[in-house]
Amino acid sequence: MLGSAAPSLALIDTLTEHWAEFRSGFWVTVRLIVISFAVAMVVGTLVAALRIAPNKWLQRLGGIYVEVFRNIPLLVLLFISFAGLRRGGVDIGPWVAGIASLGLYTAAYVAEALRSGVFSVGKGQIEASLSLGFSYAETLRRIVLPQAFRTVISPLGSLTIAMIKNSAIIGVSLLALPDLLKQARIVQARTFETNETFFWAAIGYLLLTGAVTLLIRNLENRFAIRR
Amino acid sequence: MKFRWLGVALTAGVLAFAGCGDDDEEPAGGGGGGTADSTPAATAEKFPADSTLGAIQEKGEITIGVKFDVPPFGVKNPQSGDVEGFDIEMGKAVAEKLGVEPKFIEAISDNRIPFLQDGTADLILSTMTINEERAEQIDFSDPYYIARGRILVPQDSDISGVDSLAGKKVCTALGSTYEATLKEQAPDADLRLVDSYSECLELIQNGAVDAVSTDDVILTGMIIQDDTLKLVGDPLTQEPYGAGIKKGETEVVDFVNGVFQELKDSGRWGELYEEWIGKYTGEPGEPPTINVEEAIELVKNN
Amino acid sequence: MNYLFDPDNWEWLTTGGNFRFILEGFLINLEIAVVSIILALIFGLALALLRLSSVKPVSFLAGAWVDIFRNLPLIFLILYFALGIPGSWKDAWEDAMPSWAPEAFQSGLVLGALMGLVFYNSAVLAEIMRAGILSLPRGQGEAASALGMTYGQSLRYVILPQGLRRMVPATVSQLITLNKDTTLVSIIAITEVMRRGRIVTSSGFFNPIEAPILHVFIFIGFLFVIVNYALSRLSRRLELRERKITGTKLKRVGGLEDQVAADPV
Repeated sequence: MLGSAAPSLALIDTLTEHWAEFRSGFWVTVRLIVISFAVAMVVGTLVAALRIAPNKWLQRLGGIYVEVFRNIPLLVLLFISFAGLRRGGVDIGPWVAGIASLGLYTAAYVAEALRSGVFSVGKGQIEASLSLGFSYAETLRRIVLPQAFRTVISPLGSLTIAMIKNSAIIGVSLLALPDLLKQARIVQARTFETNETFFWAAIGYLLLTGAVTLLIRNLENRFAIRR
Repeated sequence: MKFRWLGVALTAGVLAFAGCGDDDEEPAGGGGGGTADSTPAATAEKFPADSTLGAIQEKGEITIGVKFDVPPFGVKNPQSGDVEGFDIEMGKAVAEKLGVEPKFIEAISDNRIPFLQDGTADLILSTMTINEERAEQIDFSDPYYIARGRILVPQDSDISGVDSLAGKKVCTALGSTYEATLKEQAPDADLRLVDSYSECLELIQNGAVDAVSTDDVILTGMIIQDDTLKLVGDPLTQEPYGAGIKKGETEVVDFVNGVFQELKDSGRWGELYEEWIGKYTGEPGEPPTINVEEAIELVKNN
Repeated sequence: MNYLFDPDNWEWLTTGGNFRFILEGFLINLEIAVVSIILALIFGLALALLRLSSVKPVSFLAGAWVDIFRNLPLIFLILYFALGIPGSWKDAWEDAMPSWAPEAFQSGLVLGALMGLVFYNSAVLAEIMRAGILSLPRGQGEAASALGMTYGQSLRYVILPQGLRRMVPATVSQLITLNKDTTLVSIIAITEVMRRGRIVTSSGFFNPIEAPILHVFIFIGFLFVIVNYALSRLSRRLELRERKITGTKLKRVGGLEDQVAADPV
């Protein structure tokens, strides 16, 4: 298994002979991640807003969303959103179901990250700003959010990496989207070169997570909080 | 309820089989290496302890990889925990001849060959088609069944055969022979590959795919569960099913061939066919008479 | 909406032993999670110590290992090990399994699942432990050597007990994630709750009651939410207790999956 050293020529061959599959799988994964991220950011912001709203019921609503989507397995969500809804008569396709599931799931984490980012801005600042005559909305926009942004970069980066890893679940589930891991399995089923195919899939995922890690580090340096 | 009736019929069928198991007369002949004796375990031919068959007899059980979700060939009853089906019957015959207990484990399409290669399973009876690529990795018994590749569609579908699959979503299992077949015969079809056929059934039932393509018997199993589905078109391929055996184990191959030959000659094959398959397809079945090499040729000419 | 609340669609829950069948499956998931986290803690500790080693190459290699395994999808690792481990290992597992172990554990496939889960989580926990240890004020380590303790002794009596205590809330958090991740082993044909859910929904062959997928999996999701929510409350309580006792806290980054900041607050 791990011990059998595949001659490096065979390793490269696996990639070149099946380049089309690996490449298309990689891009499907990228598309999945990018769109899900957008969904997660939008929904997550809304939920975070609910969580810090002055109304107790809105807060509870946000709280329920977070607790449900953080504690439920993604695979269960995929079954519910795709097979479950389709059986109920909703004509939802695998892409929409996959992106909705991954996006809504990640949104719960986005909401929490944003919320703690907002809280990291001292209460005193909010009070001072309000007493200076700024409205709640303006306070949010001019004082809280810019500072909160710097704090949330790191956790947002972490949850994006988690999302990249979770995207692999979608291809493997009954949604049957041809993402990177799925394509690697298809090639493996054809050629039985388990080590080689999985190696290249791993490289693909590490490239993606590595890129995000570098981006986060870069952003953190640029917006570093000087205390 | 239709399903309740089926359940009763199946149970009755199984009980009937259990009842008349001992009345079988032993026919002459059989493949090389087998024995003419078919009476219970105590008098099964003993193999030397250092041979594969001997080792299995030592253990007292033979591990057979089967499908758990493909009626009527291999299906696990969730309430009782028992596995049943045509493949299971074949497996039981082999075990009985060897004088051991059969132990059935689940072997999905893409781990059938690895299971044999690494010894997880002694035998694979998992709706596995004999073809050249697989024959390079493992050994096969002579065919015990010949299925035909067909297409399954919903009742109201306008798909009439492999030619009308262009642009349609077609489901089949990862690692099965149909991926290549469909790429060849329907290159413009949109293939959806999944881990098991129960997922394909789910996808066609909820409309996520337009058709499922695989062996007609697997498709028939789906029709059993949902009779709004139907088979269409001419057979795409001929699929001789063989028992999978680890490469190089010629003694085992010969033994299994012997068991199968006996089943065919004694008429037992016909009985099992009728009970598990003919009842649903409504088509008569003949036991295959070809051997492995001929089977490979047959598949090549698909 | 009618579809969702129609009592006919929920009838499966109260008939045919389906409830019990699914619950038993859920128990299997929890068992896998517990076994995995225990093993992952052991290996994770070893990795963390290697990471903190003063021998540069060792710490570098351990660091690379941790970074690679933390950044790969868990399902990728599970599939790789499930497809890649030799049958002899699976056989050894099956022989070693005592008969009182639950049925799902008897299969050699569980070995592949556990390897995937443990390799992944040990890397994650190693990072959590390292954060916990690094968050200790330097004074602790210095005081220990001032008292004449060797590195090993200071680890055992001063650093680890305190550092590891700090990571308890984060570990419970990781257990929540692990619980969810156990559903992934359904993909390598282990009959835990997801598979059982599928069997219940597709049991037209044996079971005349219609069990719609939506309802069955909402139920399964509900089971997970309850258990995981309870665990998250536990984790929060532990963290508050920690804060009260030691007056410090590990910077908790908004309850994220898998990632803990290595910088203390």
